[in-house]
Amino acid sequence: MANLSVNLAGISLQNPTVLASGIMGVSSSSLKFVEENGAGAVTLKSIGPTERPGHKNPTVFAWREGIQNAVGLSNPGIENSIEKITTSVTQLDIPVFGSMFADTIDNFKRVGEKMASTGVAAIEVNLSCPNTEDDFGRMFALDTKMTSDLIKAVKSVVGDIPIFAKLSADSSEIVEVGKAAEAAGADAITAINTISGVVIDINMKRPILTNKVGGVSGPAIKPMGVRAVWNLYNSVKIPIIGTGGINTGEDAIEYIMAGATAIGIGSGVYYRGIDVFKKVTEEMSRFMEENRYKSVEEMRGIAHKAS
Amino acid sequence: MKQIDKPLALPIQKIITESERVKTFVFEYDFPGGPGQFVMCWIPGFDEKPFGIIKKDGEGFRISVAAVGESTKAMHMMEEGDLLGFRGPYGSVFTLPEDGKKIAMVAGGYGMVPLSYLAQEARKKEYEVHLFIGARNKQELLFKEWMAEIGALVHASTDDGSEGYKGFNTDLFKSNAENETYDKVYTVGPEIMEMKIAQICWEKNIPFEVSLERYMKCGFGICGQCSVDPTGWRMCVEGPVIDGEALKKIAEFGKYHRTASGEVQKYPWIKE
Ligand SMILES: Cc1cc2nc3c(=O)[nH]c(=O)nc-3n(C[C@H](O)[C@H](O)[C@H](O)COP(=O)(O)OP(=O)(O)OC[C@H]3O[C@@H](n4cnc5c(N)ncnc54)[C@H](O)[C@@H]3O)c2cc1C
Ligand SMILES: Cc1cc2nc3c(=O)[nH]c(=O)nc-3n(C[C@H](O)[C@H](O)[C@H](O)COP(=O)(O)O)c2cc1C
Ligand code: FES
Repeated sequence: MANLSVNLAGISLQNPTVLASGIMGVSSSSLKFVEENGAGAVTLKSIGPTERPGHKNPTVFAWREGIQNAVGLSNPGIENSIEKITTSVTQLDIPVFGSMFADTIDNFKRVGEKMASTGVAAIEVNLSCPNTEDDFGRMFALDTKMTSDLIKAVKSVVGDIPIFAKLSADSSEIVEVGKAAEAAGADAITAINTISGVVIDINMKRPILTNKVGGVSGPAIKPMGVRAVWNLYNSVKIPIIGTGGINTGEDAIEYIMAGATAIGIGSGVYYRGIDVFKKVTEEMSRFMEENRYKSVEEMRGIAHKAS
Repeated sequence: MKQIDKPLALPIQKIITESERVKTFVFEYDFPGGPGQFVMCWIPGFDEKPFGIIKKDGEGFRISVAAVGESTKAMHMMEEGDLLGFRGPYGSVFTLPEDGKKIAMVAGGYGMVPLSYLAQEARKKEYEVHLFIGARNKQELLFKEWMAEIGALVHASTDDGSEGYKGFNTDLFKSNAENETYDKVYTVGPEIMEMKIAQICWEKNIPFEVSLERYMKCGFGICGQCSVDPTGWRMCVEGPVIDGEALKKIAEFGKYHRTASGEVQKYPWIKE
């Protein structure tokens, strides 16, 4: 096995695969199950200020190239989640990242402060859920000023815990937003969240999802994810967790060559099974051995050097 | 067997009223799926809910639905020709014992859905099938005639004594199991009933399988909604059919489950 360890904003990971937020993150047991299947780190499902059952089903469906979801940020609320997060942190041997969302900056601060007390290795700020516009209005990540104010505010309440800003490729300004997040003190960027879409069932004559609009993930969005990382890498110095459509070791390496330090896997759990983390790391290792790369670092951003 | 993960709209071919609470919906489409597996059924404008699949010989497939809440009541209002959307099949299947040909099934409520399908398959392979069906009254004893037709031995019990043993099917099974030896036992129904059967089987060392229902969203193993403690197994992938030995590791069995938000909810019989 090649050496796959990476340093992500001061956090050392045995391998660069990170479970993306919203997948398998409902309980500490399910996260432990992900750890047993080879993840380098896990991200919890986004938690907000109060309990939400989420949207009604259909909330998720899949086809060969993609998954569409509008789960609607179902979660038990931060108060009910503290114990669960603390348990996850103690039960898992790998780093556990919290993830949070809220409607206002004040609520983000409230959730952030509580989450910081649980011992998570980092907190991802979900600026970019595309599925709750009716409840929360436009996503933060579409606007540089809002992103900057929010990151500063969160930073002020979480002490030394690293903050990841999770961005959306729905914004054509993703690079500007990324720069704003960095300037405001974000320690890393996660890119990308799902991309907003509509899928209609022509027999039913209506969109499939109850929310009508939902985020697309999986292989369908990989080129957009790689583009986001590619552009961000040229403009920010903080590390990037490249996410979107990673199913194989080759996909992961593509993101790393575009400039990612670590890579997020969500839909891959569907496409390749819960042991997708093991499979991806083994495939990465094989590629690295065959091509004589000694470290992940050596491959990072390498595609930018092509003339 | 190909899994369908994007809802497939299908017209209801036939609706059968089984009882006051249960209707069966028959479809022409040859949907894949084995006994114990379930489909996610999209009721347009309402919700999408899990139901056990039955593939009765000579048909595409069917589901039998108890009207309990908003979407199942909406389904009961539907007519032949109306469309429902299906994804699946999801989850694990029941397995018949390799040595021994005598099996028992203990079913409560719509637990008869997967078990009737299993009984059909078992009878084809010449297993001796004992069915302990429990219901409130005679009318709610599902699929009795069909089961008799395929040669399963039906031991009915009702709460009001309108047919068979008056009382719980768990008690009937318990006394029956004093004298009979079964090679494997299957149980599906309210969790408190499944618990009692599990206790009996563990004590007597009878191999068994249960179907453990948890709140389902994606059905294909990514949302984590249906994961059980402390193993993290997903009841839509590693379950819902769980072997008796593996069940020992699921500490939440009979104690609590999670609601749609992911919040833990204790069962009413569990005190602090
Ligand atoms: C694996 C599995 C197989 C099932 N098979 C059958 C079957 O063959 N026939 C049948 O009549 N019923 C079956 N059910 C139960 C059926 O899904 C619920 O009765 C139905 O979802 C109720 O919906 P509602 O809108 O009418 O009621 P609601 O008021 O929405 O719910 C009533 C109760 O149903 C359960 N429920 C609701 N939504 C879900 C969900 N998404 N996932 C799991 N449970 C839910 C909860 O316990 C809830 O308290 C099965 C459930 C599971 C998990
Ligand atoms: C079912 C589902 C739920 C998700 N929930 C969240 C969430 O709560 N918070 C979040 O930041 N991202 C959420 N996402 C987005 C993922 O974290 C990830 O950014 C996206 O799916 C792209 O990666 P993938 O192609 O590997 O899935 C969710 C994705 C899916 C498929
Ligand atoms: S219902 Fe989503 S993981 Fe089982």
